Parts: sequence; structure tokens; C-alpha cells
Amino acid sequence: MAETDDKTGPPVTLIEPIDMTKLDPNFRKEIQNMPDGDEVNACFACSTCTAACPIANQWKYKPHQLIRMILLGMREEVLSSREIWECLTCFQCQERCPQGVRVTDIIFDLRDLASEEGKIPDAVKFLAKELLEKGQLYVVTADWEREDLDLEPEVPGLSTDEFKEILKRTRTGKIAGGE
Amino acid sequence: MSHPVLIIGAGVAGMTAAVELADSGIQTILVERKTTVGGNALDLYKAFPTDDCFYCFEGNRWRPGIRKCFYRSALLDQPNLVLKTNTTIKEISGEPGSFTVVLSVGPQYVDAAKCIMCGVCLEHSKAFDIVSPQCQPQAVTYDPSKADDGAKRAAEECPTKAIDLDAEPSEETVNVADVIVATGYHEMQPVNIDEYGYGKIPNVITQLELAQMLDPNGVAGGVLTRPSDGEPVRSVMMVQCVGSRDENYYPYCSKICCVFALKHANIIVLERENISVSVVYMDIRTYDRHERYYREAREAGVNFIRGRVQIVRPSTSGGVEVVVYDSLLDRYLRFDADLFVLSSALEAPEGGSEIIKALGLRESSGFVAPANPESEERVIVGDHVYACGTALGPAEVPESVTQARAVVSKILQSRRG
Repeated sequence: MAETDDKTGPPVTLIEPIDMTKLDPNFRKEIQNMPDGDEVNACFACSTCTAACPIANQWKYKPHQLIRMILLGMREEVLSSREIWECLTCFQCQERCPQGVRVTDIIFDLRDLASEEGKIPDAVKFLAKELLEKGQLYVVTADWEREDLDLEPEVPGLSTDEFKEILKRTRTGKIAGGE
Repeated sequence: MSHPVLIIGAGVAGMTAAVELADSGIQTILVERKTTVGGNALDLYKAFPTDDCFYCFEGNRWRPGIRKCFYRSALLDQPNLVLKTNTTIKEISGEPGSFTVVLSVGPQYVDAAKCIMCGVCLEHSKAFDIVSPQCQPQAVTYDPSKADDGAKRAAEECPTKAIDLDAEPSEETVNVADVIVATGYHEMQPVNIDEYGYGKIPNVITQLELAQMLDPNGVAGGVLTRPSDGEPVRSVMMVQCVGSRDENYYPYCSKICCVFALKHANIIVLERENISVSVVYMDIRTYDRHERYYREAREAGVNFIRGRVQIVRPSTSGGVEVVVYDSLLDRYLRFDADLFVLSSALEAPEGGSEIIKALGLRESSGFVAPANPESEERVIVGDHVYACGTALGPAEVPESVTQARAVVSKILQSRRG
């Protein structure tokens, strides 16, 4: 089909459609082969997950749309979406899904896949770095709460050194400590 | 003393009613427009809900509603049953309980009682044909429009002298007490729905046409190829509700298209190599237990797109370019499909309205309507007039059989002393 030269008729569509041949038809298989994705095909887009989600009103892609995008093969768009990182992981969607799709677990899988490709938001990367450096996300400090409870200022016997050593050799270490 | 029953249409419902009435000792006349009985069911390849081939239900005799082989073989041998193929209704007159019906009987070129299907005639002339090895009546058919020099020789050499090339059409008048309308349905030819390009783009077909392509006994032997150039099909796109649930065409839901579309989708994905299937739908209505077709289709990897088709046109690769609006994503998607299959509305059959008029029946969207809309007895459509199967509107096979048996039951009750 001539794209621009032929001006005899009106434009076919005002919005350029997504070309299905440019999408990745194997993305659905890839997700199915992840630990929690086996049931993804069962989705019939009832949007129960979106109804259950406490924060989907903030999202461009609602949970049921993310699943639809997986099934259509929109790999790039799904893995670069901010939604997969903003999920609260409350598991409401997964609990309510009438077809047994493990929506929240699939979102974890999507985070894993995105991380593998280095598609991690800065805030998440920062947290990972913290974890790597301190061995814990929230460092316990001597404060009035411990004092009120008659506890000593330091947590006795707490050592994160070994944990930090292990973390370095995990994927978290690879991703956040790389540079 | 004889009060025969006339049954119009020898499809699933008509055959069931005919055999069961005849078995109950009632004189039955079964009239069929075509030369072979079976109706639309013959063209369906596999039938839901059992996924058996319609040609032969040998392994399923025990299942309720699935005894077609048995019925068919009874059609010629049951003494109470007269089968008239190639015959239409010319005129109906008289009073309820005593109808006078004039039948137009087409030329009976082949005597089904004599034919042994030896195939000698097929060797001599192309005008003879065996519709299927399991056809009923078990006889060859003759098409005078294809008559050639060999036809005469075939008639002479027929070992049982079953062929009469000089047969003429005739008329016959019968007196019957009850009439059963079992005229079935017709798949709408969606030539007027411009956006789908049916009748203009060769790779746009209907579900019944797809069923015939999938049939291993069909012309292509079950191999899916593009009608335009014979290239193998790699991707199929189906669209639901073509002409159904559309006030411009038929306001009703055709009820069984979702099920048979998904039946076809499953056959393609699971029994053919490397063909992808997408289904564009508004609502998937696989009612009742047929939900399993929907679940199976999803698990098999059939792509479901909720939305409607924006444009269909031939693509540069020889297939069909289809742009679909996905209402769940609020995005437009462009597909390149080799086959574009329309799940077209099921409409009342040709000639159905004449029969409705002749018998003074009530009508609903072209189909026969119950005499009393308030009543639960849907099969009673008039005084001494009954209807069953898809003559009453789209129905699945077990439903047609159930209705046929309800009619038999009503007639037997009305004659109980």
C-alpha cells in the first residue's frame, strides 16, 4: 500500500494502528514459562483485577490491560511500564480472579524480566543500593521507642555483614552494585 | 383410520420426529427439498457439544440426542415412514386436523430403493455423484444440468436398473392430520455489510464455509488454503456478531455462533500445524456448559480481541489486512490474516415465510413463533401444527432433538383415545 504518495482518498485512520507483526508473539510463552505465569492464557478480560486494585485509577495501563498486552505480545511496552513497579502487591487482583490467573505474581515476574534488561526505575535502584550497602532497608537506631521498652540501644547480636556478602553475589548485587 | 403426519424438512429435528412417530405406529410423510437428508448438519464437520463428525455417530448411540446414523438408516426401512426427497410444498389447504397438501415432487432420476452405490454410473458420467459415503438415502444423485454422453450408458449399465433419465416432475396430494414444521435455518450471506468485504474479497468467508474447508471429506481434504491463490493459511481471524444483535439486520443473538466459531478455532489451533487464530468479539456467549470451548480456546492460545473491525482490505502479502479497535486497550491493532471468517447471523430459511403464511402461523424475526407466547409449550405453533428445531430459531443439536421429541409426545397425547 502506498503510504504518502496516494492522496486520492481520506486517511484510513486518524490513529496509526499497532502493527501486530512488529509485536512479539512469543512474549505470552515467555511469561507462561516464568514461575507464576502458567495460567495467563486463561484471562478473559473481565477486568475483575482492575475493579479490585486500590490504585489502578492512577494508572495508564490497568491490570487487565497489562494482561491483555502480554497476550498480544506488547513486550516493550509492558516491560518499560511504570505500573509494574508501582503495584502495591496487595494480592487483591489475584485473590479475586475468576480464572485463576496469578496477576500479582505475574507482576513480580514482569519486574524480574524488566530488571534483567536493566529497566529499573531510579527509586528502586536506590533502594537496592541501600540494601546492598547496609544489609538492611531500615537501620535500627537507638531511639525513645527502644528506651521506653527497656531495650538496649543496639540490637544485640545483629550483624548484616554475612548478608551483605550474599547479596553481592545475587541479582540485586549485579543490578545495583554494577557500576 | 389413518391420520398421517406431514413433516416438512429432513434435518436433525425432522428426522428425529419422523422416526419416533413412525416407531410409535403413526403414518409419517417426511418431505425434504434436497436429494439427501441431514440438512445443515451435513456441512458442519464436527458438531458440538460432542465434537463428533456429523457423517457418522456410530460411537455415540448411547448419548441422548446423538443418534443420527440410526435415524438415517431407519428412513427407508421403516414401513410407517414415507421419505420424499427433492420435494417441496406447493399448497396447503383444509381444516386443522384434516389438511390437504399438494407436494411438488421433483424428477426421481435414481430409485434409492434399487441403488446399491456400486459406482458404475460414476465412471461413465460426471452428472452422477455420491454426496457422501454415509448419505441417506443410500443412493447416488443425478444432476441433469451436468448431463453428458455417458449418462445414457450409465443408465443402461446400471446393474439394478435404478436410473431413469426420463423421470419427470410430478404433483401429489396427501391428506394429513398434523403438520410439523422443521424447516431449519440458513446462514446469512453478509454481502450487504460493506465493512467486511464479503463477496468482494475472496479470502473473506463465513463460518459454514470454513467448516467445509476443515472437513477431511471436503474438497480440500481438510487443508486450509487461501481461496484467492491456494497458498497455505498461517493466520485466521474471526469476527462475531455479523448481522446478529444488529437492528439493521437481525436483532436477536444467533445463539450458537460463538460456540461453533470457537469449535473451529480449537480445531485449527489444536489439529493443524502453525496456524494462529484471533477472534474479534463484543461478548462471547458460550452459554451453559459450552463455556468449556471458550476456556479451551484460551488455553490453546487463541487470541481474543474485544472490539470491532474498522477496515478490511486485501493486503500486499496476498491475505487480508484488518484493523481492529481493541476496546479493552483503547488502541487500534493492525493484523495480516490469510483468512477472515465471519460468524454470520442464522436466519430463517428460504421458503419459510410461505409455509408460515400458508398455515397461518405467528412469526418472529422470520422464524416460526409459538401459538401462545405466554405458554411454555413452544413447539405448539398452531391448531394441529407443530414446529421443532431451528425452524423456531437458532438451536443446538440436542435442543432440536428435544423439541422434536416434545412434538412427538404432544401428537401422541392428542391421539390418546
